[in-house]
Amino acid sequence: MLAQKGNRTTPKALALGLLAGLFGMQCAMAGDTSGTMRVGDMQYGNGLDLRGWTPMLHPADPDGMSWLHPGMLRTPTGVLYPYPPRVDAGKPLGSGDWTYSGLLEFGYLHVGGERNAEYFRQYDDWKSGAVLGLFALDFHNHRTGQYVELRGSRLSGDDQFYRLLAGRYGSYRVEGFYRDMPHTVSTNAYPIWNGVGSTDLTLPAPLVAGASTPAQVAAASAAAPRRSIGLTRTRAGLGYEGVLYRDWIGSASITNEKRSGTRLWGGSMFFNFPFPDNGGVLETVRPIDFRTTDVNLSLRNVGKVWHFLATYNGSFFRNHKDHLNFESPFALYNVAGTPQVADIKDGQFSLEPDNDYHNVRLDLSRELKWNGQFSVSGAWGTMRQNDALLAPTTCTGVGGIFIAPPVDYTFQCANWNTTDALSRKNANARIDTGLIDARVTFHPTPAFGWHAGLRWYREDDKTRYLAYNPLTGQYGYISENGSQGSVVPGETGIFDPNNPLYRSYMVTVRNNPFGYTDTLFELGGDWQFGRKSSLGVTYTFDHNWPKYRERRRVDDQRIKFDWVSRGVFGGATVRLSWEYAKRDGDRYNYDPYVQFFSESLPGFVEPVNGIAAHTVADMRKYDLSDRTESKARAIITYPWGESATLSATFYGNRDQYDALIGRQNTRTTGATLQWDWQPTPATTVNAYLGAESSRLGIANVNDADGPDNGKALGTPGQTDPNLGGPLYPFANQWWELDRESNRNGGFSLSHDFGRVRADLRYDYNGSFGHVGYSYATIGALANRVPAAVAAAATGFPDNKYRTNTLDLGLNFAVNRSVGVRVFGRYQTGAFSDWHYAGFDNTLSYDHRLYTDKGGQLHYSVSLVGVMLNLKL
Amino acid sequence: MTNRTSLLLMFLLGAGVATGVTAQQRAAGTAAGTSPPATVADLRRMQPVSGDAQAGAGKAAVCAACHGAQGVAIAPNFPNLAGQSATYLYVQLKAFRDGQRSDPVMTGQAATLGDADMRDLASYYATLAPKPTGHADTASRGAQLYLAGDPAKGIPPCQGCHGPGGLGPQPHWSSAPQPPWATYPRLRGQSSLYVTKELGDFKNGARAGSSNAKVMQGVAATLGDEEVQTLSAYLDAL
Repeated sequence: MLAQKGNRTTPKALALGLLAGLFGMQCAMAGDTSGTMRVGDMQYGNGLDLRGWTPMLHPADPDGMSWLHPGMLRTPTGVLYPYPPRVDAGKPLGSGDWTYSGLLEFGYLHVGGERNAEYFRQYDDWKSGAVLGLFALDFHNHRTGQYVELRGSRLSGDDQFYRLLAGRYGSYRVEGFYRDMPHTVSTNAYPIWNGVGSTDLTLPAPLVAGASTPAQVAAASAAAPRRSIGLTRTRAGLGYEGVLYRDWIGSASITNEKRSGTRLWGGSMFFNFPFPDNGGVLETVRPIDFRTTDVNLSLRNVGKVWHFLATYNGSFFRNHKDHLNFESPFALYNVAGTPQVADIKDGQFSLEPDNDYHNVRLDLSRELKWNGQFSVSGAWGTMRQNDALLAPTTCTGVGGIFIAPPVDYTFQCANWNTTDALSRKNANARIDTGLIDARVTFHPTPAFGWHAGLRWYREDDKTRYLAYNPLTGQYGYISENGSQGSVVPGETGIFDPNNPLYRSYMVTVRNNPFGYTDTLFELGGDWQFGRKSSLGVTYTFDHNWPKYRERRRVDDQRIKFDWVSRGVFGGATVRLSWEYAKRDGDRYNYDPYVQFFSESLPGFVEPVNGIAAHTVADMRKYDLSDRTESKARAIITYPWGESATLSATFYGNRDQYDALIGRQNTRTTGATLQWDWQPTPATTVNAYLGAESSRLGIANVNDADGPDNGKALGTPGQTDPNLGGPLYPFANQWWELDRESNRNGGFSLSHDFGRVRADLRYDYNGSFGHVGYSYATIGALANRVPAAVAAAATGFPDNKYRTNTLDLGLNFAVNRSVGVRVFGRYQTGAFSDWHYAGFDNTLSYDHRLYTDKGGQLHYSVSLVGVMLNLKL
Repeated sequence: MTNRTSLLLMFLLGAGVATGVTAQQRAAGTAAGTSPPATVADLRRMQPVSGDAQAGAGKAAVCAACHGAQGVAIAPNFPNLAGQSATYLYVQLKAFRDGQRSDPVMTGQAATLGDADMRDLASYYATLAPKPTGHADTASRGAQLYLAGDPAKGIPPCQGCHGPGGLGPQPHWSSAPQPPWATYPRLRGQSSLYVTKELGDFKNGARAGSSNAKVMQGVAATLGDEEVQTLSAYLDAL
């Protein structure tokens, strides 16, 4: 209902404290604020009811959408609208103009079978017990257009939502919400450490950091209890949108999301596979303790000539656990064979820093002659973080390797385990963005229109950091907390212009402030042919200037054709589109990164045999290489009689990259077929099938790192970056071909018998993935020991994943106010992924320790529920 | 799956089958005609009707007593029928006969009419020359409401369905599904007394027996007494 004329004060009780101060203003009748998403959250729902209001959708209204039109209506392209739910007129609340209506659905769930199956509970906290299916209570004032709506649902303390919405149509809206959403990553994890979920992972007795044998670690892993890894998102928000003065409409919202839990993480203490009984490759568990606060403000005005919108978006991320320390159980040995002087047994990660984001944007638009419109937008944003930096290492004592005087690759941890070892104490990181976007459109005749647009965007990373230790005068950082330099002599991670041992080491010493400026021009037209067909043509020219990348200029030209015909094949709507794009640019520089490495610093002495090539010169990174792309899509929607629709989609994408080394091509082909039938308001039937396959081809070359595949590292000739040279011989080439395919299908039936409504649904999801490869010779392999060569075939084992889900529900109407819903779900799943192959037996392999066994190979699980529905 | 859960699922499946049979039997009973007739005439699929106007002239003698010999009413409390949409007239006669619209006189008059009679009468009155054009005040509040409505009060413009000149709907071509235009009446020249009464009947629910009446109920609910008066006066003079 539209607002009544007249001024009135926004009810401050509903404006909820904070916002009342900002918007305690007079509301006039103008504008509509009911349909925007500037306040509140996205979809409210859960595994029990994805929509969040399904119980309120029944019964369907046999009168359909409108008293004006016969039968069910369709969208302009012929897709059926569902029958609308019958409107509940509500009950009078007192003697005034307010009415209310409501629904309470609660009951009991029972979960049987493998209730901890990972894919069953990925985003749902299913458990046996009492649940609140839905609580809905609505109040409406049909005279003033005011309303208050409350919704809530609770599966568990980690899976629930509540929302309060209030306002007056055409005038203002206030929304407050709270929700908890689970996200299970694994239900099959066996971490060996104490302190999972904290910032410090310590080894349980009898394991000793840096002094445990693989057998001891394997025993600890086998004895570790099964745990679930995952997190809960707790999100709460408050928002207001309303008329401030005449045609001025404002909105303000604040949303807070807390993510707490755990996630699987890494823990590298140097390689293990080439060095048996050495190194350490650990799968650890890190804490998740994030809080993100988003603030959104907007002000808009729809004048007679100009339309105006100003927005501010702020996002503030806080991580309350900014590091992860872990104890490694394994001992390290140097490959030089000298007595081990280092005692590196701990690892450390620096986790995400706190950061702030601000963006202000102004949009202006106005109408022009010839049914035209002009719009221009400008925006400026900045992302900043200035956290205190962590010390480069946590080690104590001595790190590195002592061979014999003067060959001493050791370092004193005391010179690196303090923040005094940093060139500055805080990150002082900042990225600024700018945007200008202008567009004009004209439709001088009903049969012809055209538009043009120009968009400019810049992302400027202003962060500059030099990894310099004022305590030692050295550059770089201690690699892998000191473990790498304690296994391989010299690979400490540092450059020292004053030490002959370190003055030729190539290490990263500066951050790379990647950024770009992009200008995009677009010109398009559309033509109407008769009443049933139209053609659209759009040309875009995207001109990109990347910073600190292999190309300084990348141009992408694209042309797109759209054809729409209605009423073909006896009433079908056919939509066809095809686009072709070509990307090229200036000269490709395979190594633009000299300034970020120690070779750019004073005192760097080139090695006797030169600096090995940064990478192969024939490599073309996929986002910068020359490329041709074509995409085609056909969508057919056929109204099959009055009550059914058959729709089909066919699509394909092809990309070809001009690269000897790098991504070669990608292709995707897919189709969907769907049948929807609504013969009566009481019956709905759907069936669908979908299939998609994709391929990705990559070419690469292994560098020569030993006599058996060329020459050993550091030998003459390795400055040659060319494919076919001493460092990248043709014999070391290899190719990868990835294939993936997905299939899905399903069927659903819903019928209302009157006192009973039945729902039946079946869904199938399946995917297949295969990573295949070929190589010129075994020189392409990283690990060329006989066992590895023998195991090298033409690909990894296939990955497969599939689920079958059957849902059945019955709703009994006991009387007009009471109903009972009985429902059940039966799901089976099968999973096969070579990444987890063998983990059923053990998670421990020499100095490699894994934590997650992966998804269940086969599972079946059932869910049965009984719910009581009370109409309030 | 545990045995207990399996049993529950089997029970559920069994209950679904059993319930389906019972409900189908009940649905069959309904189809056999045991349910009461619809109280609201759904006109959304109504196609234009035709009849024998000449035959209708022969059956119109009694009608002329109120609606005039040439279809222009003898008193302002009766509607003018001359030039009215034949489909509209047919639908109204049928509604009087079937009880979806009620009037002390018309209910009785229509009770004896057969379908052909109603078609013929409707066709006859549609062929008669409408009441001559008047001199409406195009600057009046009534004209404004008729032509543009009042969005602030939720009042839609009447001309959207009844035509800019009150001569009945004049829709533009569209590929979208169309309302049953032929069932919408022309309003030009109807007396203000009659229009006021009908709008009142829509508003208070006395005239609610068709899908079109449902539309008009929503429209009339937005009109205050003053708006009804000015609109009626405008149409009278149109």
